[in-house]
Amino acid sequence: MTNDDDDIGGSGYSLADLSDYLDRGRQPAIPAIDSNPECQAMLASLDRVAGLSRELVARDAAEAPPVDESWVGALLSTIGRELRAGRDIPFAVSDPDTRLTITEGAVRELVRAAGDSVEGVLVGSCSIEGDVTVPGAEVTVALTISIVLSAPVTQLAQTVRDRVRSELLKHTELQVGAIDVTVTDVHLWLAEEDS
Amino acid sequence: MGALEAASDGLLAARSADGDSVAFGVLVRRLAPALRAYATRLTGSAADADDADDAVQEALISAWGALPGLEDPAKVRSWLFSIVSRKATDRIRARKPTAELDAERDEDTAEGPEEHAVSSSRLDALAAVLDALPEGQRQCWVLKQMGGFSYEEIAEQLGMSVTTVRGKLARARVSVVREMEAWR
Repeated sequence: MTNDDDDIGGSGYSLADLSDYLDRGRQPAIPAIDSNPECQAMLASLDRVAGLSRELVARDAAEAPPVDESWVGALLSTIGRELRAGRDIPFAVSDPDTRLTITEGAVRELVRAAGDSVEGVLVGSCSIEGDVTVPGAEVTVALTISIVLSAPVTQLAQTVRDRVRSELLKHTELQVGAIDVTVTDVHLWLAEEDS
Repeated sequence: MGALEAASDGLLAARSADGDSVAFGVLVRRLAPALRAYATRLTGSAADADDADDAVQEALISAWGALPGLEDPAKVRSWLFSIVSRKATDRIRARKPTAELDAERDEDTAEGPEEHAVSSSRLDALAAVLDALPEGQRQCWVLKQMGGFSYEEIAEQLGMSVTTVRGKLARARVSVVREMEAWR
């Protein structure tokens, strides 16, 4: 590094100092830098190349060919070996030698599908709270949803609750208590779906 | 493609954390181009073209496993960038002894790249400048300016001291600013 870079424009601040200053959003203000034209020019240059760097990644990504489906497929099949089954939820059976269970993961899948079936709703996370491994124990279902912008929130949340309850009743023996629906996100209709 | 295309990154991450691989697939298709572009800049053009790709793939596989532990799913994008950074820098480190030689050269090289590639745009010019930087400097630059990491985080990822990272970034800055003057 040359001396010039250690003391920009006689300000007493180095190039690294200026860069730190920029990272901090030029706060708290340092008058010796703010009033020094050479520092200002250097800050502008640093800011510019930093912006260009981010732009470069964005451009590369935008110009890249679409992701190869076989690559995605291989990736998904690799992770598919590590499924999140969660707890085993028993079904009551009359034969003592038979144990019938459904996984928590499968129940979540049911809940997601039920919620997604409501037009304008996408389910985010979903959890089943309570001791699902004990038959008859009451459980609470909590899910977060995203709704399309400007949709009637309470109405959609209630429809989600009803559908989730009826699906769980149909396919599991869970004693479902409360179903907590939290709207955490909004999304737009997809352009393709407008037609 | 289904309605999930409209979902936010955070929603897809939350579903993935719950084990929804379809949602993870949507997230992967959405973010892979940016992750790959970033990994490519990090490994540099001297690297095997597959290096960046492999780093991204490895990162996504380990991300799937770690997703349930991600505290704020809305931050999945920057979280994935940090995993890709780690996988890509691991690969670079494994690529010895070239990397070692570069690291030594890095210490002595104060001046910037001497060859001026003919570039058609500012972005191409920047790409060429970054590519010509000594490896350590380039990694620090990419992690800082494209990945948004702090000095401490970069030091940890690259197994260097914070002082070394500062020094390399300072030298990279001098080169990049100087070389890019012509493209104002």
